[in-house]
Amino acid sequence: MRMNLVLEIKDVPGQLVSVLSPIGDLGANLVAIIHQRDVKNEKGLIPVQITIEGERENLNALVDKFDEMGINILEKDDVILKQRVSTVLIGDVIDTDVRDTIDRINELDGVWVVGLDIKLDKEYKSSAMITIESNIGQKETAFKKVQEIAEEKDLLVINEV
Amino acid sequence: MEECKLVLMGFGSVGQGVAKAVAMQKEKINDKLGINIKIVAVADSSSSAINPDGLDEHLLVETKNEKGKLGEYPEFGTDISGVDVLDNVEYDVLMEQTPTNIDDGEPARTLALKAFSQGKDVVTSNKGHLALNYQELDEAAKANNVMFKFEASVGGAMPIINYARDALSGNKIISIIGVLNGTTNYILSRMTSEGSSYPDTLKESQLLGIAETNPTQDVEGIDAACKAVILSNSVLGVPATYNDVEVEGISNITSEAIKLAKENGYLIKLITEVSPKALKVSPRLVKQGSSYDISGTLNMATLKTDLADEVTTVGKGAGSLETASAMMTDLITILRTK
Repeated sequence: MRMNLVLEIKDVPGQLVSVLSPIGDLGANLVAIIHQRDVKNEKGLIPVQITIEGERENLNALVDKFDEMGINILEKDDVILKQRVSTVLIGDVIDTDVRDTIDRINELDGVWVVGLDIKLDKEYKSSAMITIESNIGQKETAFKKVQEIAEEKDLLVINEV
Repeated sequence: MEECKLVLMGFGSVGQGVAKAVAMQKEKINDKLGINIKIVAVADSSSSAINPDGLDEHLLVETKNEKGKLGEYPEFGTDISGVDVLDNVEYDVLMEQTPTNIDDGEPARTLALKAFSQGKDVVTSNKGHLALNYQELDEAAKANNVMFKFEASVGGAMPIINYARDALSGNKIISIIGVLNGTTNYILSRMTSEGSSYPDTLKESQLLGIAETNPTQDVEGIDAACKAVILSNSVLGVPATYNDVEVEGISNITSEAIKLAKENGYLIKLITEVSPKALKVSPRLVKQGSSYDISGTLNMATLKTDLADEVTTVGKGAGSLETASAMMTDLITILRTK
């Protein structure tokens, strides 16, 4: 059988090779690979699309191996496994303890804050963009948490559609 | 039906648009349907012009703009106004476009109920009475066996209510998410392209006549919330009223927040969400280049359906002839079924 995966790798020498080496070791064949070093996502990582062929057991073992190596699998057979959503907070974002805001989002299962961008300016409020990665189906939980924190801290929240 | 006599209630920008649209389309309607439409009465807030043989559309517009009130219409001007007009003339369809009133829905509510009780069909562009009294109006229209059409109340020229009910009638509409207020979309678009602050951009919009002198209904999301109620009742079949909508406007949006969004591939839009779970108007992030990415005063809506998946409609959300276009479509629907 064949399997399509989208992985994320760091932009450092040797990363691509280290991802590819377990494929042969575990009895699978590499059919295709799309790797564009100059296309990075917001985490600064490079998405790599691979198609592999082999027995079901070998392919599943390979997926486990990637997990073990800490390589993030974004998509498996066109099914998105992780999704990334953004939200903007406006108000006294810093003074209402931004660390606490992030920690409380991170406390949720399957939800991680992967980006934070804050603008402090001449205007009387600051604005923060928080990028959240979550397991599929966890997006609404993340948004609900953000909403709850925002209400408590009197921040305006602008969630993604 | 060989003849259709119209009464126009409200003669501001939309009312005048309807008069002009009737002048432009009546010959075509006569050719296609064999029905001669004529305007037999038009009322503004304090007076009216009434002639059972028909009024001249251009003279109506000219009288209103040059003399200030329709009571000055040559020969047929009267002091009769409001609901009394409906007792003083024989008519078939009421075209109602008085200003939206979100406090009590008047005078639109009384006018519609009066017309229904007289057995007349009603076309409206008004949102107030629909947002506050949808169920009452719907039941009254059904009880009197007349048609009540309000395509123009949501999204101006953009087809949405008839689109969902007729063009997508084979589907169940699961949710509607869209940009349903042109003024706020203009303000947010300008803040995005110019990097300007909210107060400055609002001022510019007021100078251009895009935002009203009192912009509250638009910028605080009230107008969009009324539309959410209308769509929930009429398209999703979920009874709702104005107080059920969770509303947050755009007056707290900073240019910095817009800049942050832009740098990360997003835009901030005032989004109306209508689903059985949520009835909500709030600023939201949308992806640049997505179907929500429309600029200026345009409106759009994405309808999520069970069979057709997602269908998106876009169009001009306001304007005299644009709003009149939706009302003419409703009028023709009525003419076809009579």
